[in-house]
Amino acid sequence: MLEIKNLHARISEGREILKGVDLTVKPGEVHAIMGPNGSGKSTLAGVLSGKPGYEVTEGQVLFQGRDLLAMAADERARDGVFLAFQYPVEIPGVNNMYFLRAALNAVRKQRGESDMDAGQFLKAVRAKLKLLEIGEDLLQRGVNVGFSGGEKKRNEIFQMAMLEPKLAILDETDSGLDIDALQMVSRGINALRGPKRAIVMITHYQRLLNYVVPDRVHVLSGGRIAKSGGKELALELEQTGYGAYGDAA
Amino acid sequence: MSALAEIQPYVEAFKARPNAAEPAWLKQRRESAMQRFAELGFPTRKQEAWRFTDLQPLQRAAFPPPSSVSRVAAADVAPWLYGAAAHRIVLVDGVFAPELSAIGALPKGVWLAATAETLRTRPELLDAVLRETDALGAQPFIALNAALFADGFVLALEPSVVLGGTVEIVHLGRAAKRSSQLRNLIALAAGSRATLIETYVGEGDYWTNAVGVIAVGAGAALRHVRLQNESATAIHLGHQRVELDRDARYENFTLSLGGRLARTDIHLKFDGEGAACGLFGATLLRGEQEGTIATVVDHAAPRCVTREYYKSVAADRAHGVFLGTIGVRPHAQKTDANQLSKNLLLGARAAIDAKPELEILADDVKCSHGATVGDLDETALFYLESRGIPAAEARRMLVEAFAAEVIERIEDDAAMRAHLGHHVARWLAGGVA
Ligand SMILES: Nc1ncnc2c1ncn2[C@@H]1O[C@H](COP(=O)(O)OP(=O)(O)OP(=O)(O)O)[C@@H](O)[C@H]1O
Ligand SMILES: [Mg+2]
Repeated sequence: MLEIKNLHARISEGREILKGVDLTVKPGEVHAIMGPNGSGKSTLAGVLSGKPGYEVTEGQVLFQGRDLLAMAADERARDGVFLAFQYPVEIPGVNNMYFLRAALNAVRKQRGESDMDAGQFLKAVRAKLKLLEIGEDLLQRGVNVGFSGGEKKRNEIFQMAMLEPKLAILDETDSGLDIDALQMVSRGINALRGPKRAIVMITHYQRLLNYVVPDRVHVLSGGRIAKSGGKELALELEQTGYGAYGDAA
Repeated sequence: MSALAEIQPYVEAFKARPNAAEPAWLKQRRESAMQRFAELGFPTRKQEAWRFTDLQPLQRAAFPPPSSVSRVAAADVAPWLYGAAAHRIVLVDGVFAPELSAIGALPKGVWLAATAETLRTRPELLDAVLRETDALGAQPFIALNAALFADGFVLALEPSVVLGGTVEIVHLGRAAKRSSQLRNLIALAAGSRATLIETYVGEGDYWTNAVGVIAVGAGAALRHVRLQNESATAIHLGHQRVELDRDARYENFTLSLGGRLARTDIHLKFDGEGAACGLFGATLLRGEQEGTIATVVDHAAPRCVTREYYKSVAADRAHGVFLGTIGVRPHAQKTDANQLSKNLLLGARAAIDAKPELEILADDVKCSHGATVGDLDETALFYLESRGIPAAEARRMLVEAFAAEVIERIEDDAAMRAHLGHHVARWLAGGVA
């Protein structure tokens, strides 16, 4: 599904953040990426999703065998890459429902499916809203406008549930969630799990991994994957911290 | 063209005017207005008010009034009409087109008719409008309009009359290298209320020179929407002179989308205490379009309120200008005025000049102003794209949102907001690079 080979990237005209990341994610797998603040986890997520402001200086990323880095951000998304933002963006004046429908239809078109009519769309929206216990009134507002921190995170997972990506990259979606919200979000993530999809979760907390049990856990430190292991690695890190893996950058 | 050559075609058009059966006083006023225009000539960029406006398109050719009337089918007008209008006047090339109009049944105390018709039957209503050709200093285009105008519309309400339905005026320009010289009047007597939308549309390279004189009486309220959707090769100059009496309310919303060269002027004067105005608008420019919004608000009475908010978007090589002056006279204490101009540049070669100006001569006032010029929000753009929305579509959505935010200022009229939103969307369908 995803093959990252010796990926080097820097902030445009800035310093190098990723210094040779290697990571392979197979269909059906859930991977967790942990690592100290500033180690480059969001940078990796940004590079994978096509966020502007980064420059890849070396290495390669294949998504379903295609050169992911050669694709524009919107193209990657339509092809099935989804990024749940660490800091979701507020967009005043762009209605949530309108936005979601435009996104869904763009993705469906790419999959060779027809546009959803208003009735079908509303039905799908209601089902997913319920899963995440998001009030319908939130969707009448501008995208993320006036949402609480937790509501924004839930909205990311709601969008993911609607768009049904093949590869979901979740950047600290569990941060700032209360206990109930964490369970809802976990339910949302687990609902997406399937033999043909893959999930990469960036997290600082073992807690999420109790609900969404990963196949692999990685430590990103010093701009590289410093260690990989099974789900027990997260527990171990909880005890030892990142001291053993060197400084962030 | 030399200064003399520029004005000559208009002087000749004036001489060649058919000898209309007009009252002597009007003929005389036209004469002196023409003289005034000939003296003033076209404005130059040395004049502060015209410093940023490139009048070349108007100076390269002559646009005399049309000598014949274009024939227009109802279907040509249909796409531009406001569905929720209750009373409609359509003018073609500056002349009333009765077959396209639908004035409908008017409540008692309401006068709605073409200007020429009003001159014939209710000349007293026009006295004030035609009294002064250019009380506001050197305004050659107002003088020219005073000399050459053929028609326009008049909406006059008697005291306390509330006109429930929206009045719609459609100005259609069709005659190439010709000008529509429109003289419009809105007079709301004390305590009356009305909502009016003026739409300017057309085809080809004509010139619309519209002068509106608006008087809102004590405690009266007018919502005045202007949809400037002229053809891409047309020239539009729209000048509004507004006077507000005690406790009057005036709201002007200008959506400016069309025209090769388009300029909207609003000169508003507070003549009585406790009145309020809201001046809002959005201007969208692309290609080589030149678009100017120029407002002058004169707080000549105490305790009046001004809320001013204009937004503009310039793509390609377009050029937008916002000139906003708020003046507060020495005795106009407790004035509460604020003005904001927000602008969006969509191309490296697009440009916007925003010049807000306060001239405050009273000491107990609350006044503020601000102007910003920026690019599309990259983070928002990426967020939309990261959900699969194509880049061009994402840009379109953000520009639409930018304009929608000021259209929201039209409170309690969802139909009007939707109408303007529809025209913004229509403009955006042409693509924003
Ligand atoms: N646009 C930018 N300009 C300058 N520096 C940046 C930019 N974006 C990221 N950085 C720097 O790159 C490094 C990696 O940042 P990144 O956001 O990827 O870290 P992270 O691992 O996600 O951290 P956290 O756990 O705090 O979210 C940090 O030192 C950060 O300051
Ligand atoms: Mg991060």
